[in-house]
Amino acid sequence: MLAVPFFFGNALGEPDNPEYQHRILQATFDLLDRNHGPVLEQLPDDMVPDVLVQGSELTASEPETLSAADELTSLRAYYEQWVNAHDGRTAVGLSVIPQRRFRGVVRFIEGYISGEESDIKERPEDVSVPQFIRYCVDDLKAFYYEARMAQRPDGADRDIHDWFWSKTAMGALTMALAQRMRDDDDEAAKAVAYGIAR
Amino acid sequence: MPKLEVLGEIQRKSMLMWPCLEHDDAPWTPMAKPLSESKVALVTTAGLHVRGDKPFIATQQGGDTSFRVIPRSTGAADIIQSHTSIGFDHTGIYRDLNVTFPIDRLQELVDQGKIGSLSDNYYSYMGALRDVTGIVEDSGPEVARRLKDEGVEVVLLTPT
Repeated sequence: MLAVPFFFGNALGEPDNPEYQHRILQATFDLLDRNHGPVLEQLPDDMVPDVLVQGSELTASEPETLSAADELTSLRAYYEQWVNAHDGRTAVGLSVIPQRRFRGVVRFIEGYISGEESDIKERPEDVSVPQFIRYCVDDLKAFYYEARMAQRPDGADRDIHDWFWSKTAMGALTMALAQRMRDDDDEAAKAVAYGIAR
Repeated sequence: MPKLEVLGEIQRKSMLMWPCLEHDDAPWTPMAKPLSESKVALVTTAGLHVRGDKPFIATQQGGDTSFRVIPRSTGAADIIQSHTSIGFDHTGIYRDLNVTFPIDRLQELVDQGKIGSLSDNYYSYMGALRDVTGIVEDSGPEVARRLKDEGVEVVLLTPT
């Protein structure tokens, strides 16, 4: 096994850096030449990665727009620009709800937070409401992040996290949703909350 | 993963307390032939799957130990992630699937003659599992059998 110093989510070092990724793969496959094992070696590169910040570590400021739904709509052109520039590749898709219907997803989440018996017709019968909310939130986060990466192509990852959690209505909505799920009597909802925001 | 001293206290303690299995009896298997003549498969614990396939489930006690098949012919646009953890930065994989699941890099190594061939199917599990019994007893042996049936000689394992 090759131990690498990169942060979780970046096993091959850096996105969009094929040369460096090949270096990591070469170092990994070189281990196959060892004569006895177990093999555990450290990649010699010494680097200190950015450590991910969670929403609760950032101070929320007044969102740039008042409504998460309107904010989402304002980012749509950037999101579509991202998808077009990446041959159709997008991390959005877990809920299987088309992104042009995400305003309905926002209403679904807002209803859930307010304590309504909230549901959405796209939810498969064998997927619980809390679990489906998790898929929806993952889609909304991916939509926002990809839109922001199109909007600010040279922006640092850390800046995107700062922006989402402290500057957007969707970040605030996501934090409120996580709190609502933590406060729920349903253990399934509590279990999902930890993966929504913390 | 980063060196422990880089992590915050909570994450560092979590890593140190993680219930890892140790296999002192794992057999050493030297390479029977060069990599340039071997068939390679890719297996990940990054919670990836084909778009439209059943996502991994966040609420399963101990974690979801099932696996997903990702045919090698699947393009990057049709591979998505339903990882239960938000303890890692998703931005990297949003930008480039290869940073976790190096499908393009492996094909390039084949094209360069450094790898003999690639398996027709790759496999994916969920990471961050607290109970891997289901993998040890069921889904692990099942994927191993499939890899052997396909004639795979080297498996590249990539984490989240």
